[in-house]
Amino acid sequence: MARIVGGLGISHTPSMGLAFDAGMKGEWEPAWKPWFDGTRPVKEWLADLAPDHIVCVYNDHLNHFTFEAYPTFAIGVADAFPQADEGWGPRPAGGPPFPPVPGDTDFAWALTEHLIRTESFDLTVCQELALDHGVYSWLPYIADAPWPAPMTPIAVNMIRHPIPTAQRLRDLGAAIRRAVENLESDARVLVIATGGMSHQISGTRFGIANEDLDRYFLANLKDNMPALVDLPQTEWMRLGGTEAAELGIWFAMRAALSDRIDEIYRYQVFPKITGCGVIAFQEPS
Amino acid sequence: MPADATPPLQSPGFDLDEPGTYLYSGRASTRGFRLNRFALSLTKPANREAFLADEAAYMAGYDLSEDETALVRARDWTGLLKAGGHLQAILKLAATLGLNLYHIGAHNTGTDADSLYAMCPRGVSATPEPE
Repeated sequence: MARIVGGLGISHTPSMGLAFDAGMKGEWEPAWKPWFDGTRPVKEWLADLAPDHIVCVYNDHLNHFTFEAYPTFAIGVADAFPQADEGWGPRPAGGPPFPPVPGDTDFAWALTEHLIRTESFDLTVCQELALDHGVYSWLPYIADAPWPAPMTPIAVNMIRHPIPTAQRLRDLGAAIRRAVENLESDARVLVIATGGMSHQISGTRFGIANEDLDRYFLANLKDNMPALVDLPQTEWMRLGGTEAAELGIWFAMRAALSDRIDEIYRYQVFPKITGCGVIAFQEPS
Repeated sequence: MPADATPPLQSPGFDLDEPGTYLYSGRASTRGFRLNRFALSLTKPANREAFLADEAAYMAGYDLSEDETALVRARDWTGLLKAGGHLQAILKLAATLGLNLYHIGAHNTGTDADSLYAMCPRGVSATPEPE
């Protein structure tokens, strides 16, 4: 049977991606260099872990999906997931664009079958899916192109209320675990969740930065997730900015793991307007 | 601080009320449907070129109200959000004009983009109350 070997929670933001592109040209913004340095151990860990597949729970930002049809949950089943054009053109600007993230349709269909038929997670299935900075902003920090493993992205609506509940995201993670363990292969799977941390990018609270809230979240995710899930989503939004609700996505990663995990690495910094954090868990071999 | 510099903003509060926060609801999504469809059309390079060449002619193809068109022409970022524009959609309009998130945020906060950039991160501290 296939099994989940680890989990990774990581923040995303457009400027994280742009900072990477500038940094690769030797022009690191001082505010962003610590995030690059702070993610070096994750890149090494991921290279050693060498998963066969990645399941990535993320959120789109009106870059692939539009309000004509905005799914609450969607899964990508395609051979490749290209970069979405967010209005500034493909990254890195001026250079050859990043190659598409590869997919594995056999893996993704098997996962979809189990999630819909056995777990009653009625995902919208996308046979074309462009990924925005929700994936492409952090990806080059933790891996080099060509990307090391095929990915199955699962998109969660975080841009318009009503958003899914924290408990539903936790349930999604548990369902992903059972779906992976149901696969007839010996694949080693990494689950990534991305969103948040603290931030709000409109209104007079623009730029609210609650590093202590981010620290509290990271400190409790491994052993105390139920308390985090029980906190109303409006509390995360009130204390950490409206987009701190995206931290709920991380519950899908934690719930896909067992209680025997080791915390391998944790780091957080607040470069500008989004709390940037990363946490890596690994199952015992 | 020089006399003509923007004064520091008040520290962000811990509430979800306007104008601190424009919570994006289903009702806002209905109100802003056409506006967002127009703004999101600008993720295509050819559409960006067409818009920049003739804003009025381009917007005429998107069934916008006179008020919505006027908000775009005035670069009234706060007004666009209040009219149901989603930040992530309105950001595509800003990007097309060579602007970014800070220009929208500066309009929301009553400062200018450079000053706002310098003020961020706007640190606060609070953690959830124990049960």
